[in-house]
Amino acid sequence: MRYIELFLQYSGQYIKTRLAYRSDVVVGFLFDLLQQVVNLTFIFLVFDYTSSMNGWSRDEVIFIYGYFLIPFSIFMAFFNIWQFNDEYIIKGQMDRVLTRPIHSLYQVLLEKMELESLLGCLTGATIMIFSGFALNISFGIKDMLLFLPFVIGGVLVYGGVFVFLASLAFFTDSKLSIMPMMYNVGNYGRYPIQIYNRAIRFVLTWILPFAFVGSYPASYFLNRTEWVGYALFTPIMGLIVFIISIYFWNYGVKKYRGVGS
Amino acid sequence: MIQVRNLHKSYRVHSARKGVAGAFRDLFSRQSYEVNAVQDISFHIPRGEIVGYIGENGAGKSTTIKMLTGILTPSCGEIICNGMNPHMQREAYVKTIGVVFGQRSQLWWDIAVQESFRLLKKVYQVDDRTYQHHMDLILSTLDLSELLDKPVRKLSLGQRMRAELAAALLHNPAILFLDEPTIGLDVLVKMKIREFLKEINQTYQTTILLTTHDISDIEALCERVIMLDGGNIIYDGNLSELRRKYVTKKQISFEFTKPTDIQTLSSQTEHLNLKWKAGENMHQWIGILPISIREKASISEVMTAVSKQNEIVDLQVRELALEEIIRKIYEKGAVHG
Amino acid sequence: MDKYFVMIRMRFLTMLAYRMEYYTGIIIYSINIGAYYFLWKAIYGSQGEIGNVDFVQMTTYVAIGWMARSFYYNNIDREIAADIQEGKVAIELIRPYDYVLMKTAQAFGEGVFRFFCFAVPGFIIVSLLFPVHLPSDPFLWVSFFVSIFFSFLIFTQINLAVGLTTFFFYNNRGFMRAKRILLDLLSGLLIPIYLFPAWVQSIFTFLPFQSISYVPSMIFSGGFTTELVYLSIGKQLLWSVILIVPIMLLWKTAKKIVVVQGG
Repeated sequence: MRYIELFLQYSGQYIKTRLAYRSDVVVGFLFDLLQQVVNLTFIFLVFDYTSSMNGWSRDEVIFIYGYFLIPFSIFMAFFNIWQFNDEYIIKGQMDRVLTRPIHSLYQVLLEKMELESLLGCLTGATIMIFSGFALNISFGIKDMLLFLPFVIGGVLVYGGVFVFLASLAFFTDSKLSIMPMMYNVGNYGRYPIQIYNRAIRFVLTWILPFAFVGSYPASYFLNRTEWVGYALFTPIMGLIVFIISIYFWNYGVKKYRGVGS
Repeated sequence: MIQVRNLHKSYRVHSARKGVAGAFRDLFSRQSYEVNAVQDISFHIPRGEIVGYIGENGAGKSTTIKMLTGILTPSCGEIICNGMNPHMQREAYVKTIGVVFGQRSQLWWDIAVQESFRLLKKVYQVDDRTYQHHMDLILSTLDLSELLDKPVRKLSLGQRMRAELAAALLHNPAILFLDEPTIGLDVLVKMKIREFLKEINQTYQTTILLTTHDISDIEALCERVIMLDGGNIIYDGNLSELRRKYVTKKQISFEFTKPTDIQTLSSQTEHLNLKWKAGENMHQWIGILPISIREKASISEVMTAVSKQNEIVDLQVRELALEEIIRKIYEKGAVHG
Repeated sequence: MDKYFVMIRMRFLTMLAYRMEYYTGIIIYSINIGAYYFLWKAIYGSQGEIGNVDFVQMTTYVAIGWMARSFYYNNIDREIAADIQEGKVAIELIRPYDYVLMKTAQAFGEGVFRFFCFAVPGFIIVSLLFPVHLPSDPFLWVSFFVSIFFSFLIFTQINLAVGLTTFFFYNNRGFMRAKRILLDLLSGLLIPIYLFPAWVQSIFTFLPFQSISYVPSMIFSGGFTTELVYLSIGKQLLWSVILIVPIMLLWKTAKKIVVVQGG
C-alpha cells in the first residue's frame, strides 16, 4: 500500500518536472518512432523478395514486432537503470538511497522512472492492430484476459535481467558494458524465435528468456498453437527471473562497499 | 544509544598499471591489495551527546559513519544503534536516524524544496500532525519558510545546507549523522547551523555525531571528541581534557615604547619561570610561560614584573589553538585519553 | 603538425583505458551481426539468390559492414556539442591549434585504436562464427582498405558538420540522434542499397551516405565489378572533398559567433 502511494507521489513529481520540458518529450517520442520506422523498413523491404521467413508471413513478423514494443516500452519506462553503476555507485548516490527506509531497488527505479517511454506502447499497439487486421485475427475475451499477464511477464523478464546486470556493479569497480550487450541480445526477441538456430533458441528461452517478451506470447495471439505452452508460461517465467534478480540485488547491497571518502 | 564494539572494515582495491603496456596487461589480470579502512574501533555514545569525529582524510571517518548508518556492512565487530543492527535491520533502523552528507544532496534537484519535503514525509511515513508541529519549529529556526517554493538548484550553498538539515530532521530522528556539514559555507551560515544543532539537541535530546575538518565546529558544539588515525581511535574523551593535557604553555606578546634586549628582560623576570623570544623588532618581545597549577597568578606576576620597568604599548595572551593541538597529536602519534 | 600527433596518441591511450568496452564492443557487434545473419537466413530460406547475391555473400556483406563501422564510428559530434554547450570552445580558441583539426586528430586516434583493437580482432572472431567469404583477389583487399579509409573520413566529416551546428541550434541532441538512426539505414549498413526500390536508389546516388558503408561492404563481398569499384572510390574521394566546404563555412560563422557572444 505504502509502496503504491510512494509510486503515485514520485510519478506526480516526475510529471510536474517533465511538463517543463514538454518539447523534449515529444521529440523523444518522434525519434523512437523513427527508430521503429527504420526497423520496419527493413522488414518491408526484404519481404519484397520473399513471401515467408521460416514460415512466418510479413504481417505475422510485424505483429510480433508490434507486440514486443508494448512490454519493451513499459520496461524502458520503469527500469531505466542503464547508468546505475555510474550514477549510483561511482557518484555515490547509493549511499543516500541506503539511508532511506524503502527497499533500495524500489527507490532507484522510482528515481529513474522515465514515464514518457510509455508512449512506445501506442506505437506498438498501432502496429499490432494494423497487422492484426491484415491477418484477420480475432481477439476474444480470453485473449484480453491473457494479454495483461503476458505483458507483465515480459516486463518482468526484461526488468529482471537488467536488475541482475545492474547488481553486478556492487561487486566490481570497472565500467560495465554488459548492459548494452544484453540490450542487443534483447532485440532478438523482436522476431519470431523460430528463425534462430537451436542453441540460440535455447538461450533465449531458458537463460536470457527474451523470447518470452515478444515471440512466445505474440505467437499465441497469432493462433500458432505449437507454442501455447511456452506462451502460458510467460508470467511464471517473468516472476522467476525477477525474484532471482531481487535476491541477487539484495546480496549485492550486502557486499556494497561504497565510494572512497 | 550508539554502541560500537571491535569494529573492523577492510576491502580489496584494484590498482592500474602504468603506461600502454600496463593497460594491456590490466586487460588480462589485475593487481589488487587489501585496505584496512577501520582497524578496531570501540566506543559508546549515550543519548543526547554531541560527539565530534575527527581525523585526517583516509583515517576511516567516512567508513565508520557509513557503517553506523547501515550503508556498509562491517567486516567484523558489532554495532548496535537505537537497539538495532544498522545493516541487518536497515529499513527499520534508518527511520530512526537522520543523515547529512555535506557534499551530496538529499533533495531533488529540479523540484521545489517543499515538494522534496512532502516526498520525504511519505518516505518516512510521518503523520500530518507530528509533521506540522515539528516542521514549524525546524523551518522557523532555520529561517527556511521563504525558500520553500524555490527549486533546490536555485538555492545558494548555505540555503541548500539548511534545507538539507531540515530534510534530515523531518522525521525527528533519535540520532543525527553529519558528514562535513559546514564544508564550503561562510561564517554566518556556519554559526546559524551550529546554533540550530544545539537547539535541536536540547529540545529533542537528539544524539549528534559529526565529522568535520573545521575545528571551530567542534569547539562550538562538542563536549566530546573521538580522534581517528589510520583506522584506529587515538583519542576519545573530553575536549577540555584534551586541551588541559596538551596546552602546556602560554605566550605573552609585549610591545614596548622603547627598544629593549633579551638580557634586560630576563634579568627583570629572573624570579619567574619565563623564557623570552624576539618579536618582529626590538620593541616587540614574547614571553613563553609554562602553565603550572598557579597559572593565573603567574600571568599577573609577569605583568607586574614587566610593567614595573617598561612602558607597555600593547599586550596579548595566547594559548595553543585546538587545531595546533590536534596537529601536534598527529605528529606525535597515538595517545590514549 | 606535432601537436596533432600528440592528440592522436592521447586519444589512442584514452581509448585503451576503457578496457571493458574493448571486450564487449566486439561481442555487441557479433550479437548484431548474428541478429541479421539469422534474419537473412530465414529470408533466403530455400531461395538461392536475392538480387544476384547468394547467402554467403550477404553474410559477408553484413559482417564486414559492422566491422567497418567499428572502425569508422565515433562520437565527435556529441563531443563538439558538449564542448559548445559547456562553453569550452571559447577556451579552445585561445589555444594554439585549430579546433576542427584537433577534433579530427582525436577522431583519427580513436580510429587507429578501433581498427587494431576492435575491427581486426572483431572480424577474426566474426569470421569464425559466421560463414564469411574472404575475397581472394588482392585488388579487392587493397580497394577495400582504401574505401574504408574514405568511409572514416566521410563519417567523421558528417559528424564534424553536425556537431558544429550546435552553434546555431543550441540544443541539437535530437538532430544528432536522428542522424545516428538514419545513417545506419541510409549508409546501407542495415540493408544493401540494391534492395531498395529503384527510385529510392537513384536518390541515394546523389547523397554521400552510401559511401560510408555500402561501398566498402560491396567491394569486400565481391558485389561490385572492377569499374564500379573505381567509380565508387572516385565518388568517395569526391564527397570527402565536397564535405570540407560546409565544415569550413560552419566553422567560420561559428567562430564569429564565439567572438561576439563569448561562446
